[in-house]
Amino acid sequence: MNLQIILAIAFGGALLTYLASKISEKTRDVIAVVISLSLVVCIAFLYNHPVSYRFNTGFLNFPLILRLNTLSWFFAMTIAIVGSLAVIFSLSYIKEKERTDFYYLMILLVNASMIGIVLSGDLIMFYIFWEIMSWGTFLLISYNRGPALPAGMKYIVMSIAGSVAMLIGMLSLYSRYSTFTIEELSNILSSASNGFVLFIFILFFIAFGIKNAVWPFHTWLPPAHSEAPSPFSAILSGILVRMGMYGFLVIFLVIAGVDLFLNLGKGLISFNYILAWIGAINILIPTFIAMLQNDSKRLLAWHGVGQGGYMVIGIAVGSSLGVAGGIFHIINHTSYIALLFLVVGAIEYRTRGVRDLNSLGGLIKKMPVTFIGALIGACGLIGIPLTNGFVSKWLIYKTLILDNYPFLAFAALLGTWGTILSLFKFLHNIFLGQLPEKYHAIKRAPFSMQLPIITLSMIILIFGILPGIPLKVINEIIMSAGLESLDISLWGITSETGMLNTVNIFAAISVTAIIIWLLFKAGREEIKTGQDDNYAAGFGIPKEKYHYTIEFYNPLNRMISRYLRDFVDDFYQKLAQSIKNLGSGIRRIYAGDIGYYIMYIIMFLALLIFIQINWEIW
Amino acid sequence: MDIVFEIMIIILSALIIGLFFLGLSRKIMARIHWRYGPPIAQPFIDIIKLFSQTSTSHGTLFNLGIIFSLTGSVVVLLFLPLGKMCPLSESGGLLVIIYLMLISPLGLALSAGDAANPNASIGISRKFLLAMGYEVPLLLIFLAVMTYYNTISIAEIVNIQLLTGWSFQHLPLLLSGIAYALILPAIIGFRPFEMIQAPQEIASGPMAEYGGKFLAFTTIQHAFNVFIGISLFTNLFLGGAGNPGYFFLKMLIVFILFLFVNAVTPRFRIEQAIRYLWRWPALLAFVGLIIAVITG
Repeated sequence: MNLQIILAIAFGGALLTYLASKISEKTRDVIAVVISLSLVVCIAFLYNHPVSYRFNTGFLNFPLILRLNTLSWFFAMTIAIVGSLAVIFSLSYIKEKERTDFYYLMILLVNASMIGIVLSGDLIMFYIFWEIMSWGTFLLISYNRGPALPAGMKYIVMSIAGSVAMLIGMLSLYSRYSTFTIEELSNILSSASNGFVLFIFILFFIAFGIKNAVWPFHTWLPPAHSEAPSPFSAILSGILVRMGMYGFLVIFLVIAGVDLFLNLGKGLISFNYILAWIGAINILIPTFIAMLQNDSKRLLAWHGVGQGGYMVIGIAVGSSLGVAGGIFHIINHTSYIALLFLVVGAIEYRTRGVRDLNSLGGLIKKMPVTFIGALIGACGLIGIPLTNGFVSKWLIYKTLILDNYPFLAFAALLGTWGTILSLFKFLHNIFLGQLPEKYHAIKRAPFSMQLPIITLSMIILIFGILPGIPLKVINEIIMSAGLESLDISLWGITSETGMLNTVNIFAAISVTAIIIWLLFKAGREEIKTGQDDNYAAGFGIPKEKYHYTIEFYNPLNRMISRYLRDFVDDFYQKLAQSIKNLGSGIRRIYAGDIGYYIMYIIMFLALLIFIQINWEIW
Repeated sequence: MDIVFEIMIIILSALIIGLFFLGLSRKIMARIHWRYGPPIAQPFIDIIKLFSQTSTSHGTLFNLGIIFSLTGSVVVLLFLPLGKMCPLSESGGLLVIIYLMLISPLGLALSAGDAANPNASIGISRKFLLAMGYEVPLLLIFLAVMTYYNTISIAEIVNIQLLTGWSFQHLPLLLSGIAYALILPAIIGFRPFEMIQAPQEIASGPMAEYGGKFLAFTTIQHAFNVFIGISLFTNLFLGGAGNPGYFFLKMLIVFILFLFVNAVTPRFRIEQAIRYLWRWPALLAFVGLIIAVITG
């Protein structure tokens, strides 16, 4: 299978879908699903077939390269799977909205461009696909209009800033080494001076950090994620943002190499240590801000920022375990955050767009499958054992403790508690408690929504119980980056300083649960009652008022909310405002009256004459 | 078969010791209050009785949550060394324990949430906030211990202590140990951190809707929880023990000490509790960790 064919399917399929929509909606839906599923199949067949194509007749005589290695296969596979699930979910989600043809075109185009990014072997191709992705994302974020427009604007402004940084970085590499190909650069850069490497690192850190929503470049993400259509939020938070992580991996581990990356600077002021601390801040602040949110999608969006910190820490530490954990966390995050956004999408679809956590409740009785999806997704995000999130976090914590970074480990572990608090609020306020009367007639989510939810839940559990499956691929990636190989079996990791055996944990939990369930059954059978038969101190249950959700963590909110403002965002807003003021100040000079302009010219000439008379410069 | 036997012994002894502690606490509390008090075996009698009583259920998650919660506690027990016995110590160590300890409160919270009773929801909200409060010092303590001994395996930590003496004898861990002692009442739900149940305010919080066998299960879970909190303290700071009898004796002494605190203190409000937990215990644990990093 050729890589060109894959790109042709991806991009051609997007256009074909758009053309098919002119025939009928049904054809369009079928083609969109077939295209996205065929991409999954094609890429799956390419496993372990590293190839590389060079086109010398390319753009401006630069050679263009398409290549596939384990790292890009790993990302391409994730993109294709999440993309296809989001398209399937969209079938009913987007049906009653307007401009659906445009929606499908853009969502497939963004997927295609992401596949293009991971397949490109030189920075020119990389940049072109990167820009297609950025602009496609902008159009999809603003799809809903209304508050989505400023959200999209914020995104695209920051994204352009990142692109400019990337362009400067590319051009400085080119001006020194006259090549854009990743492979050649990786051979040359190790001989560069430390100052130049740091310069390149900082430029690419800005470029990829903005896309990856790394603190302090995260401010575009919360509004963008919450305003985008839910299936696209799943792609956006799941994999599109993580293209920034792919960029980090390419620049730090592939182009620069581990040795250069870890030896830039000394001790506490080395590049990777500072990067690790940025990761730690990135975990703590957003996770606690998430706890204060009342909008379900915004809550998840802040977790999207927070979880990125674990990946950054893992890669920044640079040990085999850390990098493996960081890369593993990327796909784990993809699976559970995509799942949670799809769950919110299903709720939105059935409740006609309600995202406010304070006005839902008790939906578990009406949407049980969606609840199970939400529960598994939440467990994955928290990192409960037997979900995949646990394994990747375990790898990261272990390397932090054994390599003597206990304070980083503390930040990472504490982030888990922020996650539990906010996700329990998410589960409780949507699914538990009293069911409001207006939702009594609500129906289950349609099958096209349940299917992606069930698939992602299965992925989370399988990768959690048998983490060896993805870790085997990840092990190849870290070996190709020049790190030590890990001793991986199907059910975990063996090493001399404490091991992990997920199958043992699984066996212990399931056997215990079965025994306790049998004991439970052995007791006298319980009587089933509804939510109106509750303890209310002898009074009747007050309708609609017997529900505790608003200000769920009020005592803590009162204590910490004033420290948890998004200071970075405030700073950017002030910056934007002062530039606006400066602009309007400058505009006042151009009054539009010809007399003023003549006055300016005369004053300028007078100034020149004055200078010449006094100092005789010319 | 050895391992199955060990597992049975651990679970049974934890059950008996945990329930015995609950019975003992009622008796001692009664004596401090100048009452006669129930017999020490009262919790055992209650549990047998509760299994045969009628109960109401609010749905599938209401039942499953309780089962998950108890499962979580039991599995944590299997990872904790008890004397020389530690059947699952090879499968993950202290990091796994930190995460397994989440299952039990989460299961109870889901179950109580499905009960659709605001008292239960308030209780859960307080439970998570209190956990947030004591996790800050607790994680610092765990990290200090793991950094000091440079291992994540709790069985190994106990073994090293058998050779070099209790953790309490080394300076950084002395601070961490004191911090653990300061937060232990919060972990096992003793006064002044009893706001989760607070019978006079929120009708026993998460317990509001439980009766019959549900109440029996939550009582057992509470007994395990007390056992785990004290057993961790004993393993990490009081040197564990070579044989189970000595181990239980150490646990009993710790328990009775905290029972005296429980008997004479009133209840904190939740903000006061968090403020306390994030101040002195966290500070001590933090200093302990810094010293452990520098000297280790």
